Amino acid sequence: MDYHVKLDLFEGPLDLLLHLISKAKIKIEDVSITEITEQYLDYLDKMKKFDVEIASEFLVMAATLLYIKSRALLPKPQIQEDDEFDPEQDLIRRLAEYKKYKEVSEKLKERKKIYSNIYYKLPEELVYKKDESTTSIIEGDVNDLISAFVKLMAQKKFHRTERIFYPVHKRSITVSQRINQIKRILNKKVQCSFFQLFEEHYYRSDVVVTFLALLEMLKDNQIRIFQQGQFEDIIIRRAK
Amino acid sequence: MKDMDEREIMGLIESLLFVSGDAIPAKRIAEFLNMDVRKVRKLMERLIDVFNFERRGLQVIRVDDSYQLATRPEYGEYIDKFFGSDKKQTLSQAVLETLSIIAYRQPITRMDIELIRGVKCEYAINVLIDKGLIKEVGRLDAPGRPILYGTTNLFLRSFGLSSLEDLPPLQE
Repeated sequence: MDYHVKLDLFEGPLDLLLHLISKAKIKIEDVSITEITEQYLDYLDKMKKFDVEIASEFLVMAATLLYIKSRALLPKPQIQEDDEFDPEQDLIRRLAEYKKYKEVSEKLKERKKIYSNIYYKLPEELVYKKDESTTSIIEGDVNDLISAFVKLMAQKKFHRTERIFYPVHKRSITVSQRINQIKRILNKKVQCSFFQLFEEHYYRSDVVVTFLALLEMLKDNQIRIFQQGQFEDIIIRRAK
Repeated sequence: MKDMDEREIMGLIESLLFVSGDAIPAKRIAEFLNMDVRKVRKLMERLIDVFNFERRGLQVIRVDDSYQLATRPEYGEYIDKFFGSDKKQTLSQAVLETLSIIAYRQPITRMDIELIRGVKCEYAINVLIDKGLIKEVGRLDAPGRPILYGTTNLFLRSFGLSSLEDLPPLQE
Protein backbone atom coordinates (compact mmCIF):
# COMPACT_ATOMS: atom_id res chain seq x y z
CA MET A 1 0.00 0.00 0.00
CA ASP A 2 1.25 3.39 -0.96
CA TYR A 3 1.38 6.21 1.43
CA HIS A 4 1.03 9.68 0.09
CA VAL A 5 2.29 12.29 2.40
CA LYS A 6 1.76 15.86 1.52
CA LEU A 7 4.69 18.04 2.23
CA ASP A 8 4.17 21.71 1.65
CA LEU A 9 6.80 23.17 -0.56
CA PHE A 10 8.29 26.51 0.25
CA GLU A 11 9.96 29.11 -1.85
CA GLY A 12 12.82 29.37 0.57
CA PRO A 13 13.76 29.45 4.23
CA LEU A 14 12.01 32.80 4.79
CA ASP A 15 8.84 31.42 3.25
CA LEU A 16 9.00 28.38 5.53
CA LEU A 17 9.59 30.56 8.60
CA LEU A 18 6.63 32.78 7.71
CA HIS A 19 4.48 29.68 7.37
CA LEU A 20 5.52 28.43 10.81
CA ILE A 21 4.90 31.85 12.32
CA SER A 22 1.43 32.18 10.81
CA LYS A 23 0.60 28.64 11.95
CA ALA A 24 1.52 29.63 15.48
CA LYS A 25 -0.70 32.68 15.03
CA ILE A 26 1.81 35.19 16.28
CA LYS A 27 3.06 38.47 14.92
CA ILE A 28 6.49 38.56 13.38
CA GLU A 29 7.73 41.04 15.98
CA ASP A 30 6.68 38.74 18.83
CA VAL A 31 8.28 35.62 17.47
CA SER A 32 10.39 33.56 19.80
CA ILE A 33 13.19 32.40 17.56
CA THR A 34 13.99 29.61 20.01
CA GLU A 35 10.58 28.00 19.58
CA ILE A 36 10.47 28.45 15.86
CA THR A 37 13.92 26.91 15.53
CA GLU A 38 12.56 23.62 16.86
CA GLN A 39 9.81 23.51 14.28
CA TYR A 40 12.10 24.63 11.53
CA LEU A 41 14.52 21.80 12.21
CA ASP A 42 11.60 19.34 12.43
CA TYR A 43 10.57 20.35 8.99
CA LEU A 44 14.06 19.88 7.59
CA ASP A 45 14.06 16.40 9.16
CA LYS A 46 10.83 15.62 7.36
CA MET A 47 12.29 16.79 4.12
CA LYS A 48 15.25 14.51 4.62
CA LYS A 49 12.97 11.58 5.38
CA PHE A 50 11.06 12.09 2.15
CA ASP A 51 14.23 12.45 0.17
CA VAL A 52 13.55 16.01 -0.76
CA GLU A 53 16.75 17.70 -1.65
CA ILE A 54 17.44 20.44 0.82
CA ALA A 55 18.73 23.58 -0.77
CA SER A 56 21.77 25.09 0.88
CA GLU A 57 19.82 28.23 1.78
CA PHE A 58 17.70 26.17 4.18
CA LEU A 59 20.83 24.93 5.91
CA VAL A 60 22.27 28.42 6.18
CA MET A 61 19.05 29.52 7.84
CA ALA A 62 19.19 26.55 10.22
CA ALA A 63 22.67 27.62 11.24
CA THR A 64 21.51 31.21 11.74
CA LEU A 65 18.61 30.07 13.90
CA LEU A 66 20.85 27.89 16.03
CA TYR A 67 23.29 30.74 16.39
CA ILE A 68 20.53 33.03 17.62
CA LYS A 69 19.35 30.34 20.02
CA SER A 70 22.84 29.82 21.40
CA ARG A 71 23.27 33.54 21.91
CA ALA A 72 20.10 33.59 23.98
CA LEU A 73 21.43 30.81 26.20
CA LEU A 74 24.74 32.45 26.92
CA PRO A 75 24.99 35.21 29.49
CA LYS A 76 25.15 38.62 27.93
CA PRO A 77 28.37 40.58 28.27
CA GLN A 78 28.24 43.25 30.95
CA ILE A 79 29.08 46.12 28.69
CA GLN A 80 26.44 46.48 26.00
CA GLU A 81 27.63 47.97 22.82
CA ASP A 82 24.96 50.04 21.19
CA ASP A 83 25.70 49.27 17.60
CA GLU A 84 26.20 45.58 18.16
CA PHE A 85 24.74 43.50 15.36
CA ASP A 86 21.71 41.58 16.61
CA PRO A 87 21.06 38.60 14.33
CA GLU A 88 17.59 38.08 15.82
CA GLN A 89 16.45 41.61 15.03
CA ASP A 90 18.04 41.34 11.62
CA LEU A 91 16.16 38.13 10.87
CA ILE A 92 12.87 39.62 12.06
CA ARG A 93 13.44 42.65 9.85
CA ARG A 94 14.14 40.40 6.87
CA LEU A 95 11.03 38.35 7.55
CA ALA A 96 8.86 41.47 7.67
CA GLU A 97 10.40 42.74 4.45
CA TYR A 98 9.89 39.44 2.65
CA LYS A 99 6.31 39.18 3.91
CA LYS A 100 5.52 42.57 2.37
CA TYR A 101 6.53 41.40 -1.11
CA LYS A 102 5.01 37.96 -0.71
CA GLU A 103 1.65 39.53 0.12
CA VAL A 104 1.75 42.01 -2.71
CA SER A 105 2.67 39.24 -5.14
CA GLU A 106 -0.66 37.63 -4.25
CA LYS A 107 -2.39 40.84 -5.29
CA LEU A 108 -0.45 40.94 -8.53
CA LYS A 109 -1.43 37.32 -9.14
CA GLU A 110 -5.09 38.32 -8.84
CA ARG A 111 -4.59 41.15 -11.31
CA LYS A 112 -2.81 38.81 -13.69
CA LYS A 113 -5.76 36.45 -13.48
CA ILE A 114 -8.18 39.22 -14.38
CA TYR A 115 -6.07 40.43 -17.25
CA SER A 116 -4.93 37.11 -18.69
CA ASN A 117 -8.11 36.45 -20.63
CA ILE A 118 -9.15 39.91 -21.63
CA TYR A 119 -7.80 42.45 -24.02
CA TYR A 120 -7.98 46.19 -23.97
CA LYS A 121 -6.79 48.68 -26.49
CA LEU A 122 -3.83 51.01 -26.44
CA PRO A 123 -4.58 54.61 -25.54
CA GLU A 124 -5.30 56.84 -28.52
CA GLU A 125 -2.34 58.90 -29.59
CA LEU A 126 -3.76 62.29 -28.86
CA VAL A 127 -1.78 65.45 -29.32
CA TYR A 128 -1.61 67.02 -25.92
CA LYS A 129 -1.69 70.74 -25.45
CA LYS A 130 1.81 71.99 -24.93
CA ASP A 131 2.43 73.69 -21.68
CA GLU A 132 4.75 76.57 -22.57
CA SER A 133 6.47 76.68 -19.23
CA THR A 134 7.53 73.07 -19.44
CA THR A 135 8.27 72.29 -23.06
CA SER A 136 8.17 68.57 -23.14
CA ILE A 137 11.69 67.80 -24.14
CA ILE A 138 12.54 64.25 -23.39
CA GLU A 139 16.12 63.38 -22.77
CA GLY A 140 16.94 60.38 -24.89
CA ASP A 141 19.23 57.42 -24.59
CA VAL A 142 21.01 55.08 -26.95
CA ASN A 143 17.79 53.28 -27.86
CA ASP A 144 16.28 56.51 -29.18
CA LEU A 145 19.35 57.06 -31.32
CA ILE A 146 19.08 53.57 -32.72
CA SER A 147 15.40 53.89 -33.61
CA ALA A 148 16.10 57.24 -35.29
CA PHE A 149 18.86 55.56 -37.27
CA VAL A 150 16.54 52.76 -38.38
CA LYS A 151 14.08 55.40 -39.52
CA LEU A 152 16.82 57.22 -41.41
CA MET A 153 17.95 54.08 -43.20
CA ALA A 154 14.40 53.42 -44.28
CA GLN A 155 14.48 56.63 -46.30
CA LYS A 156 14.64 56.12 -50.03
CA LYS A 157 17.99 57.70 -50.71
CA PHE A 158 19.80 55.10 -48.68
CA HIS A 159 18.21 52.23 -50.53
CA ARG A 160 20.48 50.28 -52.78
CA THR A 161 20.66 51.67 -56.29
CA GLU A 162 19.44 49.56 -59.17
CA ARG A 163 22.91 49.38 -60.55
CA ILE A 164 24.59 46.17 -59.69
CA PHE A 165 28.04 47.50 -60.39
CA TYR A 166 29.16 50.80 -59.12
CA PRO A 167 32.54 52.28 -58.42
CA VAL A 168 33.91 51.49 -55.01
CA HIS A 169 35.30 54.56 -53.37
CA LYS A 170 37.86 54.40 -50.72
CA ARG A 171 36.41 56.54 -48.02
CA SER A 172 39.04 58.00 -45.87
CA ILE A 173 36.93 59.41 -43.07
CA THR A 174 37.30 57.61 -39.76
CA VAL A 175 35.12 57.66 -36.69
CA SER A 176 37.51 59.91 -34.79
CA GLN A 177 37.65 62.36 -37.69
CA ARG A 178 33.89 62.45 -37.79
CA ILE A 179 33.77 63.03 -34.02
CA ASN A 180 36.00 66.08 -34.55
CA GLN A 181 33.75 67.33 -37.33
CA ILE A 182 30.66 67.00 -35.17
CA LYS A 183 32.50 68.76 -32.34
CA ARG A 184 33.29 71.63 -34.68
CA ILE A 185 29.65 71.88 -35.74
CA LEU A 186 28.56 71.92 -32.11
CA ASN A 187 31.14 74.58 -31.30
CA LYS A 188 29.67 76.85 -33.94
CA LYS A 189 26.05 76.15 -33.11
CA VAL A 190 24.66 75.21 -29.73
CA GLN A 191 22.79 72.26 -31.11
CA CYS A 192 22.24 70.39 -34.32
CA SER A 193 19.67 68.04 -35.71
CA PHE A 194 20.23 64.31 -36.01
CA PHE A 195 18.86 64.09 -39.52
CA GLN A 196 20.83 67.11 -40.73
CA LEU A 197 24.07 65.40 -39.80
CA PHE A 198 23.33 62.77 -42.41
CA GLU A 199 22.17 65.07 -45.15
CA GLU A 200 25.31 65.35 -47.28
CA HIS A 201 26.22 61.71 -46.85
CA TYR A 202 24.87 59.28 -49.34
CA TYR A 203 27.29 56.48 -48.84
CA ARG A 204 26.37 53.86 -46.39
CA SER A 205 29.83 53.82 -44.90
CA ASP A 206 29.63 57.55 -44.15
CA VAL A 207 26.27 57.11 -42.55
CA VAL A 208 27.57 54.28 -40.42
CA VAL A 209 30.66 56.27 -39.43
CA THR A 210 28.48 59.24 -38.42
CA PHE A 211 26.24 56.99 -36.37
CA LEU A 212 29.20 55.31 -34.67
CA ALA A 213 30.65 58.73 -33.92
CA LEU A 214 27.42 59.78 -32.23
CA LEU A 215 27.26 56.58 -30.18
CA GLU A 216 30.88 57.04 -29.14
CA MET A 217 30.30 60.67 -28.13
CA LEU A 218 27.18 59.76 -26.19
CA LYS A 219 29.05 57.03 -24.36
CA ASP A 220 31.84 59.44 -23.41
CA ASN A 221 29.27 61.98 -22.21
CA GLN A 222 30.44 64.52 -24.76
CA ILE A 223 26.94 65.07 -26.09
CA ARG A 224 23.40 64.80 -24.83
CA ILE A 225 20.41 64.06 -26.98
CA PHE A 226 16.89 65.39 -26.71
CA GLN A 227 13.62 64.77 -28.46
CA GLN A 228 10.50 66.90 -28.58
CA GLY A 229 8.31 63.86 -28.65
CA GLN A 230 8.05 60.40 -30.06
CA PHE A 231 9.10 60.03 -33.72
CA GLU A 232 10.42 63.58 -33.91
CA ASP A 233 13.90 64.68 -34.86
CA ILE A 234 16.61 64.18 -32.28
CA ILE A 235 18.48 67.26 -31.14
CA ILE A 236 22.14 66.88 -30.31
CA ARG A 237 23.70 69.21 -27.79
CA ARG A 238 27.10 69.55 -26.29
CA ALA A 239 27.24 68.18 -22.75
CA LYS A 240 28.17 70.84 -20.26
CA MET B 1 -22.12 68.99 -19.45
CA LYS B 2 -24.62 70.72 -17.21
CA ASP B 3 -27.81 69.63 -18.95
CA MET B 4 -26.81 66.06 -19.69
CA ASP B 5 -29.03 63.35 -18.32
CA GLU B 6 -27.63 60.23 -16.72
CA ARG B 7 -27.77 58.20 -19.91
CA GLU B 8 -25.76 60.83 -21.72
CA ILE B 9 -23.20 61.05 -18.94
CA MET B 10 -22.83 57.27 -19.05
CA GLY B 11 -22.33 57.52 -22.80
CA LEU B 12 -19.71 60.19 -22.30
CA ILE B 13 -17.84 58.07 -19.76
CA GLU B 14 -18.01 55.12 -22.13
CA SER B 15 -16.37 57.18 -24.87
CA LEU B 16 -13.67 58.36 -22.46
CA LEU B 17 -12.95 54.74 -21.53
CA PHE B 18 -12.66 53.85 -25.20
CA VAL B 19 -10.16 56.59 -26.00
CA SER B 20 -8.18 55.95 -22.84
CA GLY B 21 -7.75 52.20 -23.29
CA ASP B 22 -6.09 52.17 -19.88
CA ALA B 23 -8.13 52.18 -16.71
CA ILE B 24 -9.41 55.57 -15.52
CA PRO B 25 -9.70 56.18 -11.76
CA ALA B 26 -13.22 57.00 -10.53
CA LYS B 27 -11.77 60.11 -8.90
CA ARG B 28 -10.57 61.53 -12.23
CA ILE B 29 -13.96 61.00 -13.83
CA ALA B 30 -15.63 62.67 -10.86
CA GLU B 31 -13.31 65.68 -11.01
CA PHE B 32 -13.85 66.07 -14.74
CA LEU B 33 -17.64 65.85 -14.50
CA ASN B 34 -17.69 67.89 -11.32
CA MET B 35 -19.63 65.13 -9.62
CA ASP B 36 -19.48 63.32 -6.32
CA VAL B 37 -17.21 60.27 -6.62
CA ARG B 38 -19.89 58.08 -5.03
CA LYS B 39 -22.32 59.19 -7.70
CA VAL B 40 -19.76 58.29 -10.37
CA ARG B 41 -19.32 54.83 -8.85
CA LYS B 42 -23.08 54.35 -8.91
CA LEU B 43 -23.30 55.40 -12.55
CA MET B 44 -20.42 53.08 -13.38
CA GLU B 45 -22.21 50.17 -11.72
CA ARG B 46 -25.12 50.89 -14.02
CA LEU B 47 -22.87 51.09 -17.06
CA ILE B 48 -21.33 47.75 -16.09
CA ASP B 49 -24.85 46.30 -15.77
CA VAL B 50 -25.85 47.60 -19.20
CA PHE B 51 -22.87 45.91 -20.83
CA ASN B 52 -23.51 42.67 -18.95
CA PHE B 53 -27.24 42.66 -19.58
CA GLU B 54 -26.81 43.02 -23.31
CA ARG B 55 -24.07 40.37 -23.30
CA ARG B 56 -21.82 42.62 -25.30
CA GLY B 57 -18.39 41.55 -26.50
CA LEU B 58 -16.96 44.33 -24.43
CA GLN B 59 -17.30 44.87 -20.73
CA VAL B 60 -16.49 47.59 -18.28
CA ILE B 61 -14.28 46.23 -15.53
CA ARG B 62 -13.48 47.71 -12.19
CA VAL B 63 -10.00 47.29 -10.78
CA ASP B 64 -8.98 49.13 -7.62
CA ASP B 65 -11.58 51.88 -8.03
CA SER B 66 -10.63 52.44 -11.68
CA TYR B 67 -12.72 51.55 -14.71
CA GLN B 68 -11.65 50.10 -18.01
CA LEU B 69 -13.19 48.95 -21.27
CA ALA B 70 -12.05 45.45 -22.13
CA THR B 71 -13.09 42.33 -23.99
CA ARG B 72 -15.07 39.70 -22.15
CA PRO B 73 -13.00 36.85 -20.68
CA GLU B 74 -15.15 34.10 -22.23
CA TYR B 75 -14.07 35.28 -25.67
CA GLY B 76 -10.38 35.32 -24.77
CA GLU B 77 -9.58 31.95 -26.26
CA TYR B 78 -11.38 32.74 -29.53
CA ILE B 79 -9.55 36.05 -29.79
CA ASP B 80 -6.28 34.19 -29.33
CA LYS B 81 -7.30 31.68 -31.98
CA PHE B 82 -8.40 34.33 -34.48
CA PHE B 83 -5.20 36.35 -34.16
CA GLY B 84 -2.99 33.31 -33.60
CA SER B 85 -1.65 34.80 -30.42
CA ASP B 86 0.28 32.81 -27.88
CA LYS B 87 -1.63 31.54 -24.90
CA LYS B 88 -0.85 33.78 -21.99
CA GLN B 89 1.42 32.14 -19.47
CA THR B 90 0.91 31.63 -15.81
CA LEU B 91 3.75 32.55 -13.51
CA SER B 92 4.97 30.39 -10.65
CA GLN B 93 5.07 31.73 -7.11
CA ALA B 94 8.85 32.11 -7.21
CA VAL B 95 8.67 34.09 -10.43
CA LEU B 96 5.82 36.27 -9.18
CA GLU B 97 7.65 37.11 -5.95
CA THR B 98 10.75 38.06 -7.89
CA LEU B 99 8.67 40.17 -10.25
CA SER B 100 6.98 41.95 -7.34
CA ILE B 101 10.30 42.84 -5.76
CA ILE B 102 11.60 44.20 -9.07
CA ALA B 103 8.39 46.14 -9.70
CA TYR B 104 8.54 47.96 -6.37
CA ARG B 105 12.27 48.28 -5.93
CA GLN B 106 13.52 48.94 -9.46
CA PRO B 107 16.17 49.48 -10.55
CA ILE B 108 17.53 46.59 -8.49
CA THR B 109 20.37 44.10 -8.78
CA ARG B 110 19.97 40.35 -8.60
CA MET B 111 21.87 40.30 -5.33
CA ASP B 112 19.43 42.67 -3.67
CA ILE B 113 16.49 40.59 -4.86
CA GLU B 114 18.12 37.46 -3.46
CA LEU B 115 18.75 39.24 -0.17
CA ILE B 116 15.04 39.91 0.19
CA ARG B 117 13.85 36.48 -0.93
CA GLY B 118 16.61 34.54 0.80
CA VAL B 119 17.02 32.24 -2.19
CA LYS B 120 18.73 32.29 -5.55
CA CYS B 121 16.70 34.10 -8.19
CA GLU B 122 18.70 33.49 -11.34
CA TYR B 123 16.11 31.18 -12.86
CA ALA B 124 13.17 33.44 -12.02
CA ILE B 125 14.97 36.44 -13.53
CA ASN B 126 15.71 34.52 -16.74
CA VAL B 127 12.06 33.46 -17.01
CA LEU B 128 10.94 37.07 -16.56
CA ILE B 129 13.38 38.32 -19.20
CA ASP B 130 12.27 35.58 -21.61
CA LYS B 131 8.65 36.61 -21.13
CA GLY B 132 9.57 40.23 -21.67
CA LEU B 133 8.26 41.35 -18.29
CA ILE B 134 11.58 42.74 -17.08
CA LYS B 135 14.67 44.08 -18.79
CA GLU B 136 18.15 45.26 -18.07
CA VAL B 137 17.94 48.97 -17.35
CA GLY B 138 21.54 49.73 -16.58
CA ARG B 139 24.47 48.83 -14.40
CA LEU B 140 25.16 49.70 -10.81
CA ASP B 141 28.26 51.78 -10.25
CA ALA B 142 29.80 49.24 -7.90
CA PRO B 143 32.45 46.52 -8.13
CA GLY B 144 31.56 44.07 -10.88
CA ARG B 145 29.11 46.59 -12.33
CA PRO B 146 26.09 44.32 -11.62
CA ILE B 147 23.06 44.51 -13.92
CA LEU B 148 20.10 46.54 -12.75
CA TYR B 149 16.66 45.20 -13.60
CA GLY B 150 13.40 47.04 -14.17
CA THR B 151 9.95 46.20 -15.46
CA THR B 152 8.81 46.67 -19.08
CA ASN B 153 5.71 48.13 -20.70
CA LEU B 154 4.54 44.58 -21.34
CA PHE B 155 4.56 44.07 -17.57
CA LEU B 156 2.26 47.07 -17.10
CA ARG B 157 -0.08 45.83 -19.80
CA SER B 158 -0.23 42.22 -18.63
CA PHE B 159 -1.18 43.41 -15.18
CA GLY B 160 -3.55 46.11 -16.39
CA LEU B 161 -1.47 48.97 -15.01
CA SER B 162 -1.17 52.30 -16.79
CA SER B 163 1.93 53.27 -14.82
CA LEU B 164 4.05 52.05 -11.92
CA GLU B 165 2.17 54.45 -9.67
CA ASP B 166 -0.88 52.24 -10.14
CA LEU B 167 0.81 49.31 -8.38
CA PRO B 168 -1.15 48.24 -5.29
CA PRO B 169 0.44 49.87 -2.23
CA LEU B 170 2.80 47.79 -0.10
CA GLN B 171 1.44 46.86 3.31
CA GLU B 172 3.71 48.32 5.95
